[in-house]
Amino acid sequence: MTTAKETAEHRLPTRQTLLPDLPVFDATALDHGTRDALAELLLAMADDEFICGFWDSEWTGIAPLLEEDVAFSSLAQDEIGHARLLYEMYGRLTGADPDRTAFLRAPEEYRHARLLDHPRTDWAFSICRRWLYDTADAIRLAALASSSFKPLAEVVAKIRREERYHLMHLDAWMRRLAAHDGEPRAKLVAALDTLAPDALTVFTPLAGSAGLVLAGVLAQPMTVLAERWSLEVGGMLAQMGLPKMAFGRPSADGRDHSQPADSFRWLWGEFTSVARSEEGVEW
Amino acid sequence: MTDHQPTPAAEGRRDEAGRMGDGADPGVWEVFRQEKDGEPMRHAGNVRAPDRDLAMHYAREFYSRRQESVRLWVVRRTEIADLSDPDLLQPPLDRTFKKPGGYVLRDKLDAAKKRAKAAKK
Repeated sequence: MTTAKETAEHRLPTRQTLLPDLPVFDATALDHGTRDALAELLLAMADDEFICGFWDSEWTGIAPLLEEDVAFSSLAQDEIGHARLLYEMYGRLTGADPDRTAFLRAPEEYRHARLLDHPRTDWAFSICRRWLYDTADAIRLAALASSSFKPLAEVVAKIRREERYHLMHLDAWMRRLAAHDGEPRAKLVAALDTLAPDALTVFTPLAGSAGLVLAGVLAQPMTVLAERWSLEVGGMLAQMGLPKMAFGRPSADGRDHSQPADSFRWLWGEFTSVARSEEGVEW
Repeated sequence: MTDHQPTPAAEGRRDEAGRMGDGADPGVWEVFRQEKDGEPMRHAGNVRAPDRDLAMHYAREFYSRRQESVRLWVVRRTEIADLSDPDLLQPPLDRTFKKPGGYVLRDKLDAAKKRAKAAKK
């Protein structure tokens, strides 16, 4: 038998002490409209990072070389770390429990961009998808760097310092694959063909994004960020001697999962399996 | 990563510049790290990588992902001038007289102390 006091002493430290990177803030300082719109944006970003991290973590143990195994696994973990911060911030705005948000929603309720529905496939495909996504993420983060919502600007500054290295690493791999005729280049081009139609789903317009721009939370609307991305990616593809891609424009349903893709259903089954095995238990 | 030593096959095979050359594995990069500003660069270990960019990225992953370094140097093993010739580094003749240990200070020190004591009286 343990007394109540002993039990309390054996409890883990509270989340506040586990997350020194998340600044303390007062969510009630925001008006309702801004708060809802910000919550929508944070959930979309968190889901992007979370799903991307899970797909890429599948390379652990099977990457092309041992050093890359460690490097790519660490990149994947970074994304899940970013997702954790963003889910936590989302939770402070909405009262939602971060673990439940991450692991106990139905597949239909996730808000990640459809670009992240694609499975791991082969190495060139994973590099290509991650490069397209991280370039988009970098542009999105830049648009939040001087956000009028200071706690977000602070968190984004930290995330951007990690993302710098991600882009360096992915650029290096893209250049390597593009420069090697035969299988590496052919697989990269095939990956681009498959991913191009979904690339701009990262910039799917959100219901409240106009309000966020007015409130100075987000520097530019998603459509402007999408144009910036198309210019940057187009320029880099040309530089690497890769074919020109038609990316189109972001569509309204880019984050809609009312009919989840089979690949995402499978991944969801994997990453929620432990949480669902004993729902509500304290680990 | 590989072991920390050059392979035996590398011994004795140098290019004109004294670099380890063809005998060493060109895919191996030696990594040096500085723990704090102002401290010397110390050999940390090595990584295997297909080019300089990836070698730097892997060095970062293996030797500083937890903020344990403020600077890394990454150099291809074939670029390192290797000197391990015992005729040059381990001369066979006795040179102990060149080391401070060659002088016995104890007796001289005792004598000096006695002199100082006598002078005080």
